[in-house]
Amino acid sequence: MSTPVYEARGIVRSYGSVSALQGAHFDVQPGEVCALIGDNGAGKSTLVRILSGAEQPDGGEILFEGRPLELSTPTDARSRGIETVFQDLALANHLDPIQNMYLGRELMKPGVLGRLGFMERSAMRDHGKEAFASLGATVRNFSGPVGGMSGGQRQAIAVARAAAWASKVIFLDEPTAALGVVQTKGVLDLIRRIRDKGIAVVLISHSMPEVLQVSDRVHVLRQGRRVAVYQAKQTNVEELVGAMTGALDGKEAA
Amino acid sequence: MSVQTQEPTAAEVEREARTPVSARVMAGLRAQAMQIVLVWLVIVIVFSAMSPDAFLDAANFRNIAISVSILAVLGVGTTFIIITGGIDLSMGSVLVFSGVVSSMVMQRLGDGQGWGVAIVGILVALASGLMWGLINGFLVAKAKVPPMIVTLGTFGAALGLALVLTGGIDLRAAPDVLVDSVGFGDVVGVPSLVIIATVVVVIGIVALHRSRFGLHTAAIGSNAEACRRVGINVDRQLIKVYAMAGLLAGLAGVLNLAFFRSTTIAGNSLTNLDVIAGVVIGGTSLFGGVGTVFGTVVGLLIPATLRNGFVILGVEPYWQQVVVGAFLITAVYFDQVRRAAANRGTTRRSALSRLTHRNRKDV
Amino acid sequence: MRRTRVLTAGAAIVLASGMAACSSGGSADSGSSDAAVSGGSGEIDLAFIQGVIGDNFYISMECGVRAAAEELGDVKVSVQGPQKWDPSLQQPIVSSVVATSPDAILIAPNDVSALQRPLEEAAKESKVVLVDTTIEDPSIAVSEIASDNEGGGAAAFDAIKKLVPDGGQVLVIDNQPGISTSDARVKGFEDAIEADSDFEYVGVQYAQNQPAKAADILTSTLQKYPDLKAVFATNIFSAEGAATGIEQADVAGEVQVVGFDAGPAQVDALKDGTVQALIAQQPYDIGYQGVEQAVAAIKGEPTETKIQTGFSIITPDTLDSEEGQAALYASEC
Repeated sequence: MSTPVYEARGIVRSYGSVSALQGAHFDVQPGEVCALIGDNGAGKSTLVRILSGAEQPDGGEILFEGRPLELSTPTDARSRGIETVFQDLALANHLDPIQNMYLGRELMKPGVLGRLGFMERSAMRDHGKEAFASLGATVRNFSGPVGGMSGGQRQAIAVARAAAWASKVIFLDEPTAALGVVQTKGVLDLIRRIRDKGIAVVLISHSMPEVLQVSDRVHVLRQGRRVAVYQAKQTNVEELVGAMTGALDGKEAA
Repeated sequence: MSVQTQEPTAAEVEREARTPVSARVMAGLRAQAMQIVLVWLVIVIVFSAMSPDAFLDAANFRNIAISVSILAVLGVGTTFIIITGGIDLSMGSVLVFSGVVSSMVMQRLGDGQGWGVAIVGILVALASGLMWGLINGFLVAKAKVPPMIVTLGTFGAALGLALVLTGGIDLRAAPDVLVDSVGFGDVVGVPSLVIIATVVVVIGIVALHRSRFGLHTAAIGSNAEACRRVGINVDRQLIKVYAMAGLLAGLAGVLNLAFFRSTTIAGNSLTNLDVIAGVVIGGTSLFGGVGTVFGTVVGLLIPATLRNGFVILGVEPYWQQVVVGAFLITAVYFDQVRRAAANRGTTRRSALSRLTHRNRKDV
Repeated sequence: MRRTRVLTAGAAIVLASGMAACSSGGSADSGSSDAAVSGGSGEIDLAFIQGVIGDNFYISMECGVRAAAEELGDVKVSVQGPQKWDPSLQQPIVSSVVATSPDAILIAPNDVSALQRPLEEAAKESKVVLVDTTIEDPSIAVSEIASDNEGGGAAAFDAIKKLVPDGGQVLVIDNQPGISTSDARVKGFEDAIEADSDFEYVGVQYAQNQPAKAADILTSTLQKYPDLKAVFATNIFSAEGAATGIEQADVAGEVQVVGFDAGPAQVDALKDGTVQALIAQQPYDIGYQGVEQAVAAIKGEPTETKIQTGFSIITPDTLDSEEGQAALYASEC
């Protein structure tokens, strides 16, 4: 196996007396879709928060492109090309898709104008539209507020925003949880296209069929530990559920 | 393959078939700011019809513009604050305090006359307003105290300090040049006050709609948590917004001193509500995230024009308050309708038009 | 479409209020804006700008204004005023009134300097009469009419002397400093009390025209000076509040209150004993004479530059006399 672009070993994290992660492992290759599944309370969200820089682990180590890494803020992670889309999407509803895409990373005009706060609006608009198009995300209205768009559109905008800035890894927390069938298909297509660009995608999902549809590998977390890793093509829903609930003992895939 | 929303409805297909030009015009008119201008024009037309000699007169419009100028300066800062989802109740008191310290300093400088003294006075007023703005911003951003509480506190504190400094007696010291040129002077026939207010308004419009400062202001009001996640320093931005509003209140203080040649300590207790009403009538949502400075200016013009017209027509003063109050409620109602429609998606019709087009099959 | 809705709503509100203006009876007239008439013949347009609306003192003044208008004939009165004693509220009203080019403006200015320039402008086209309060340079007005407030203050002290013959501590509750009228009352009172060694003056506090503040001032002063014998309240709201404060502190009868102005609330207080004497101005008279002076100026007749009106002392004994009743302030005309 080649070096994982992002790897976690033995991550420990507790909240007071509650132990959320008890030595969890994780790894993802570039250009791979890894699903992270587990029952409620298994530690998935905690692991993602730690890997995206929003929290610090109590123990264990994180390796990025083979080298040890310590993240103190999400900005640290972002500067390395690691982006995260949480379930709330973190979109500013009154702003349009382009403004959301460039939020916090606006292109400023050169020189004095830039320091006064003037932005390259048309450049951002053009590049933004290109970024959306290259991912196949069709945004119907680039100047309307994202708050007025459907759930599927908003999800696509949030995912495409992360994908546009992520150069290495992108974490998606339940991206299709609130979507209908057609919209879910659209998001899954988007995920495949991101993977095809060479970015590693880590997907948390409760939907086994989706997981099997789009992932390359599936990591199962239970009670704060990774209990199994499966190749998606070689497993099925029953086996996954079994690993999640502990009916089967953990086994590592080859 | 593309990420689509649900299949287009018949209404949507119908709309796409309309020509692009009319669609853009419609979109422009739909903007709340344009609607408000139309409302103001209707008011002007009605008053002009009822009292052409007194109302429809250049001198009268001049007076309306002057009466709105100081409020407009305050309104720019308040618009920014309300867009962040906050509020500022302290502006009237900061205005008074700034006028007081400015007057006190100018009185003690030399013989209290001349442009040198005036400029120092202006800078003192700006500094004082900035100070109160920073206090407000710091308490809101860092101490996480709700803006209404913070600014209620500074409303009392600033006024109280002004009373302590003056013993409750208005100061009337201002260099003649300040009063004559800023307070009552003209530049090519336009009152200086109006020009200063216009400059402030234009800067406010550019800052809000074209600069990153304005964009981040709206972003914070829309979703502060999202801003934090993308690395925007929300606390610093909030402090800057409140500081700017304080600076403008300081400017308003010296303008007020120049115009009334008095620190008007007893007055300005209702100024905050007048300005907030103007901001809301102008279409800025009290919930934050969206708003326009232009709308605020028109929103301030409407009560001022109403009051002017009512006095000219001889309407009982109490009725004036009732009508301005009705406008405020109507404006907030339309804001609610707009928000509800936006939440449901722009492809759906608003509750209001559904109400009025009950028999149409496609709704 | 929402746009039409907004337009029709706006137009409807404005039209409705316009019609309300025309049809509302009572004190509002729809001022005619045409033909500013001057000289001897024709109708005279007179605008009365009160110091603050809803104040019985100015309502009584308005009654005097209207009575004079009727008796002199051909005088059309319109009444306006700010909802608070606030020059930044009164100034736009002045400029709007000036836009109607009235023949005369009667005004109680809210501030001596803030209203100076606006009234100078007004005086160019209209005859200005200052009632009650004044401005820095009153020469632009044809006449200044006010109560002899200093004398009123002195009379208040006389009333206190009668109520507390043995002397004692006395508090003054004023509105706010900087208002010519109440400043004069306080001065008249202070001059009188300082000349009398039987009485101790514990100072003046400001209630900002708010009865609640006046009540607080009274109760806190009682904490500091439990032997307080009397209070002089320089205007309506201060007297109301002082009476409330006395009831709150349960010292009715032990602390004598002399109020200035005789509105209904104070008359009630006089009747049930929380206030012992009222110094009533003669706002009706001020209003009446104001109109007389304005009309005289318009007709080119001689005017009196300064007129001081008198005051009466009302006690529970004199309340029911004809004189007493006539001195009370009106709630409506």
